[in-house]
Amino acid sequence: MKRSIRVEFDELAKRFDLRVIFRGVSGRAEPGEVLVITGPNGSGKSTLVAMLCGLLRPTRGSIRYVDGDDGELSRDEWRSVLGVVAPSMGLYEELDAMENLRFFAKVRGVHDAESLCRDLLGRVGLDPGRKTPVGGYSTGMHQRLKIAQALLHDPPVLFLDEPGSNLDPTGQDWLEGMVLEQRERGTALVLATNDRREMEWGTRHVALSG
Amino acid sequence: MSSRGGVHRVLPWVLFVWMAVVIWAAFLWAPAASGFVGQSSRIVFFHVPTAWVATLAFLGSCIASIRYLKTRQPIDDIRAQAASALGLTFAILATITGSIFARIMWGSYWNWDPRETSITFLLLIYAAYFALRGAIADPERRAAMAAVYAILAFVTVPFLVFIVPRIYWSLHPDTIINVQGKMKMSSRMLQVLFASLAGFTGLASWLYCIEVRLERLRRARQHEELI
Amino acid sequence: MWRFLAEAAAVFVKDLRSEFRTKVALNALGLFAVTTLAAVSYTIGPYRIAEADRPFLLSALLWIVIFFAAMAGLDRSFVKEEDTHTAPLLRLSADPLVVWAGKLVFNLVLLAVLMAILVPLYIVLMGFHVSSPLALFAVLMAGGYTLGVTTTMVAAIIARAMTRGALFSVLSLPLLLPLMIFLIQGTRAAAEGSPDGVTQTLRAVISLGGVMTVVSVILFPVVWHE
Repeated sequence: MKRSIRVEFDELAKRFDLRVIFRGVSGRAEPGEVLVITGPNGSGKSTLVAMLCGLLRPTRGSIRYVDGDDGELSRDEWRSVLGVVAPSMGLYEELDAMENLRFFAKVRGVHDAESLCRDLLGRVGLDPGRKTPVGGYSTGMHQRLKIAQALLHDPPVLFLDEPGSNLDPTGQDWLEGMVLEQRERGTALVLATNDRREMEWGTRHVALSG
Repeated sequence: MSSRGGVHRVLPWVLFVWMAVVIWAAFLWAPAASGFVGQSSRIVFFHVPTAWVATLAFLGSCIASIRYLKTRQPIDDIRAQAASALGLTFAILATITGSIFARIMWGSYWNWDPRETSITFLLLIYAAYFALRGAIADPERRAAMAAVYAILAFVTVPFLVFIVPRIYWSLHPDTIINVQGKMKMSSRMLQVLFASLAGFTGLASWLYCIEVRLERLRRARQHEELI
Repeated sequence: MWRFLAEAAAVFVKDLRSEFRTKVALNALGLFAVTTLAAVSYTIGPYRIAEADRPFLLSALLWIVIFFAAMAGLDRSFVKEEDTHTAPLLRLSADPLVVWAGKLVFNLVLLAVLMAILVPLYIVLMGFHVSSPLALFAVLMAGGYTLGVTTTMVAAIIARAMTRGALFSVLSLPLLLPLMIFLIQGTRAAAEGSPDGVTQTLRAVISLGGVMTVVSVILFPVVWHE
């Protein structure tokens, strides 16, 4: 059974030197729900996602991961419960798809990595036997591989930053199916997007003003 | 509040008078030490205190850095930064006074004896510390990285200051109290030296408090404007 | 423990595989070492230095070449993760100490390869007479480890800065200053065949390496997650 984890954030603000990216941003993502973050380009959607993952410290405000049964998770524990797809987070270009997934599975301590990786690649529509380095992939194939990477450890919290970008219509349909299935299974999803179709999946919304 | 304000107004004047007396005593009251070229020994009253302050500031910066990593309070980062700025200034002064003395005593401005190496090390560390701060835009990250670097530098200091001179020779005059525990300086000289050490420590503390207040205001203004 | 080693090995193997396919760090390190060595041996050569000065000056030159070559390549493994935007996912997937251990071993291997090629060449080209090759080997090993553990930490720091430029050497060299002094004296002692000098150096270098290891284990997670 998957853990049920809620992500809450309160009055977040981020400043880089003299530039304020955003301030006073609050919201939460409950298990089985999709929190949609919208906002014009440069409004800090990706910064917010990075902050919620624990990659950036907020200048002000707080973020909490709460397990329904065990209470609040420490910052060190966030990593093991989350998966993320984001444009600014790349894969190893000189490794092939299987090598990439195998690496992430190993450092995450996933069991049966080999069959799991093959299976996942099949699900996102990539060929596990293909030996070309990822650097030679099209942007759409790249995106599919990133999604596979995020799902490796079946995380209870899933961050998707513009997940549908560069995907063809089949890929977008598949993505929709995946999001709805994850929602069904009690994953807390955070979706940063400006795509009207993807916004429809949301059950809560946070709008950044930019 | 008013009594505290009063003390704060008086202290700088006390410091001013103290330093004036120290400067007078250093040139006119204390005798020149034997075994040194001419009046050159008088530089000790200024060189040793500046080196002392540079070292003290380094220690202060490291303590503030460790505290910052524990508490993550911006004030500790401000303290580390202020102490380092002070340390850099005084390390430069110590290097200049030291090399003037070296020129007179040993004929060259620079000899790379272990103590000169130590002060160069401090200078390089401070320079690197500020180069690092200047290269990171995110204030939280900048504070943490600078703190880590200060601690890394701190753990290498004992190797440079204690172990290197034990393995190699030194040109430098013995520290105030030499190996046998015998005072080499006359009592007048020692009195002036200690008074000067106290004065410089007071001066540095004062500058430090001003710099901390100033930096706090700078950051508070940025926050007011922006957040 | 086994899990930790397996995960660290995964990071190391990943870096090694990337390096074999791109050869960025190896080229930087190797080319730098070879050009410096060529320059040194051309301008100074084996016999310009008086017999008496040789052990000391040749030791100093050897370490200067090694240190500067290290400056050219040892930051690659961290900087590359940032430049190719793979660091965020690595940060979110792996335990920080696993990353540290994997990258440290990778850097140590790079250094070992560098020394294995450079040192024999240097000895031949510069006519460096080493009385006690075994002592030299011990000094190189201890020195290589301490150099690797220190630069790995600095590389992790500078990888997070925006304008890196010369930052790696600017931050590394002050921290490496005592190490450099120890190693030059130790190498000289090995060349002259004085066992006391060698053991003194080894003791100092190993304790410095030990202290740096402990501090790295404590502070690396801070740097990595910042």
